[in-house]
Amino acid sequence: MKKIIPAVLCVILLLTVVFSAAACTPNEIQVDKLVVYNWADYIYDSKLTDFKEYYKSLTGNDIDITYVTFDTNETMLTKIMQGDARVDVICPSEYAIQKLIESDMLVALNYFDENEYAKGLNVNSDLYEHNSSNVDNDIINKINEAFGEIRVEGKDDLQNMTDYIVPYMYGTLGILYNKYSFMEMNIYDYETINKANWGILFNDDGEGNLLSDELTGSILMKDSIRDSYAATVFYLLESGKLDGKLADDGRAYADMPAGELINAVDDTLIELCKKALIEQKKQLFGYEVDFGKDDLLKGNATVDLAWSGDAMYAVEESWDDALCKPCSEERHTRVYGEEKRDENDEKYYLCKYCKEKCGDYELGYYVPHTTGNIWFDGWVIPKNHEPSHLNAIKLFINFLNNPEVAAQNMLEIGYSSAVSPDAVRSNDGARTALAEAYVVNDDSWERLDEDGNPITKFDYDSWEEFEEYFFDYRDEMDNSNWRYPFVIAETSGGYDRGLNTLGVMRDYGVNNKAVVTMWNSARSTGDNALPLLGWTALAVVVTAGIVALSQFIKFRIKSVVKLPDDANQSRI
Amino acid sequence: MTKPKLRFSRKAFAYPYMIFLLLFVVVPLVIVLINAFLGDEGKLTFDNFIEFFSDKGGGMTVLGNSLIIGLVTTLICLVIGYPVAYFLAKYHASNKVFVLLFILPMWVNFLIRTLSTKAIFIALDVKLGMGTVMFGMVYNYLPYMILPLHTTLVSIDHSYIEAAEDLGADRFTVFWKTIVPLSVSGIVSGITMTFIPAISTFAISEILSSSKIFLFGDAINMHFSKTTNSFGVGSVMSLVMLVLVIIANVLVSLTEKKEEVKSAL
Repeated sequence: MKKIIPAVLCVILLLTVVFSAAACTPNEIQVDKLVVYNWADYIYDSKLTDFKEYYKSLTGNDIDITYVTFDTNETMLTKIMQGDARVDVICPSEYAIQKLIESDMLVALNYFDENEYAKGLNVNSDLYEHNSSNVDNDIINKINEAFGEIRVEGKDDLQNMTDYIVPYMYGTLGILYNKYSFMEMNIYDYETINKANWGILFNDDGEGNLLSDELTGSILMKDSIRDSYAATVFYLLESGKLDGKLADDGRAYADMPAGELINAVDDTLIELCKKALIEQKKQLFGYEVDFGKDDLLKGNATVDLAWSGDAMYAVEESWDDALCKPCSEERHTRVYGEEKRDENDEKYYLCKYCKEKCGDYELGYYVPHTTGNIWFDGWVIPKNHEPSHLNAIKLFINFLNNPEVAAQNMLEIGYSSAVSPDAVRSNDGARTALAEAYVVNDDSWERLDEDGNPITKFDYDSWEEFEEYFFDYRDEMDNSNWRYPFVIAETSGGYDRGLNTLGVMRDYGVNNKAVVTMWNSARSTGDNALPLLGWTALAVVVTAGIVALSQFIKFRIKSVVKLPDDANQSRI
Repeated sequence: MTKPKLRFSRKAFAYPYMIFLLLFVVVPLVIVLINAFLGDEGKLTFDNFIEFFSDKGGGMTVLGNSLIIGLVTTLICLVIGYPVAYFLAKYHASNKVFVLLFILPMWVNFLIRTLSTKAIFIALDVKLGMGTVMFGMVYNYLPYMILPLHTTLVSIDHSYIEAAEDLGADRFTVFWKTIVPLSVSGIVSGITMTFIPAISTFAISEILSSSKIFLFGDAINMHFSKTTNSFGVGSVMSLVMLVLVIIANVLVSLTEKKEEVKSAL
């Protein structure tokens, strides 16, 4: 023991020296700190270096960013509510933000009030550019409409959600489907799809019949309580299963606009949902845990409940040079073109029927017109953030609303940035980033490949062509813009994408538990193991019977054979 | 004077692990126990137990399904595993490669094994469901049945078998009256090693049925990772699981005691 004490002392001494040395490194530039708590894979790759540059240019200081991620709002909420995580800036979804505001966990940002936001901001004001005007007004209006004023628990004053958040990304909930499988099932036309509506997920054509026999067993549902609940409620409404049913407050469900219906989480509705979900199981391929892109591309499943960003990513991935759409549509089967080579030895495909050049996306994304769900994520500051980090927090949020950064994020994540499309379109940096990523041929910039030679082969021949794809793409079955759901083709007969049809889901509040119970119950009902037990019991009985029988026969044979044996012996 | 000091220091080597156990096994268990009795507002309540045992969220149904699947898996594993272990033991001396072949799959990560099984089923156009889940369970847990059986069967003294044969028993009787009773301890540990993980699994059912088959492990996973405010029910389910494991272990130790008596006789 006597020897151990000095040894331990030595180690402690050594450690102190090392640590104090680390702390005392000559340090001319101040290093500020920032802790970001965000979804995994929810920001572009070089954000840290870019933000460091941005930060240094404005403040002259270095910044040290700790980037922490979460995978569900629930894990994030648990950590923040219990005070386990001490972070500076978080990016939750709308309902989680509502919950955080209600629990008085957030600090008001006032991003849209430039003077208020800039108060106490320690930057070179000549260079600082406030980016709040870049944020899409449609989104801000939607947030205000959907959440109105929020009452903080135990306080009388009402709070505006837009004072607390800076929207980041948003998207819709919709149906990702395999276009060509639909053609083969002969259901790929505007009328059929729009009549079936959310019924596609339940293999219901909108009148209670199967949409297609072949769809049975190839539908994927999301393993997410809130999204599946919303889709089911919309389906109930669209298929007339809510007709004549009254909500707790005495109103008919069928009269409620989408925005109210998904937030009317009462027992009757929950019970109806459970029934529909159990019924749906017969039609399912399964519940997807990550996202059903692979299952859809491999043909294991045909339909999937998906978020717009995932869907866009999947659709872009599904491009197939060999598919000929017009001929497939006509013949109700997949028509592949023949492989050819052009003068540059590049592969292309010619359809054997129409002799046209082939190529199409195999998947499509459809948001039903009459009812739907829109969601958004936004940046908020928790009350227990480190006060000395506030400068960095504010600059980080402002940095993300730079159109170029927004473009990078959109490219990386696939969702639509809350920065308005016009701001992105008109920004040179953003244009270059997009043009580079999509290999657009544009006179305003020149790009070199890895060997330093100018690129000669482009995916898009002009910026205009690309712009039409990126900012104006419309699914044929849907006619609304897949990236910006508020923009709708005028030729579609003009349907409304206002809050009445595209609802925002609020926190379920006290009903949360009932929905969770319903979901668990629906998930556990259905595929029962009892038949398995029956079959096993039968197998055991049969085996036991066979063994007993064989033993019995053996015994009989022995007793029969014994006689001649005895006879033999007696002869000897 | 030196002797007691030495003893003390030897014991001290066990302390780090004791502390580890205390921190990462005992404390979490206590937290689970506390959570099971906590209501929404942090009050002491039996609501979580009522919610689970009343089958409102389908908890009991899931437990029933899991128990059945676990039972059937164990039975199939035993039926397949016993002959395999028997022949492996019989030809053990001559061919150790066979034993290796049966242990080999255990060296591959089980998630990779299960994912590849899924890929094979899909390539063969087999519908994912109960059948595929059962296949995956048996496939994954079979080695856990074979290994303990193999160890016991190998250690059986061959002279017992010779004695039985000398006394006029035919091959079936030798097997039934001598080998099986002598391998009971192997059977019991094989059953526990298969049954307990089989009732708590969730990855196999999730992958091989595309989450359509919902087992007890899935339900617990759901309560903890996919929802807020339902740690309580999840904790109750974990406790139920724990009780099942304890019961299984008690049963094992009971049979082992009987074994001791037998061998003493």
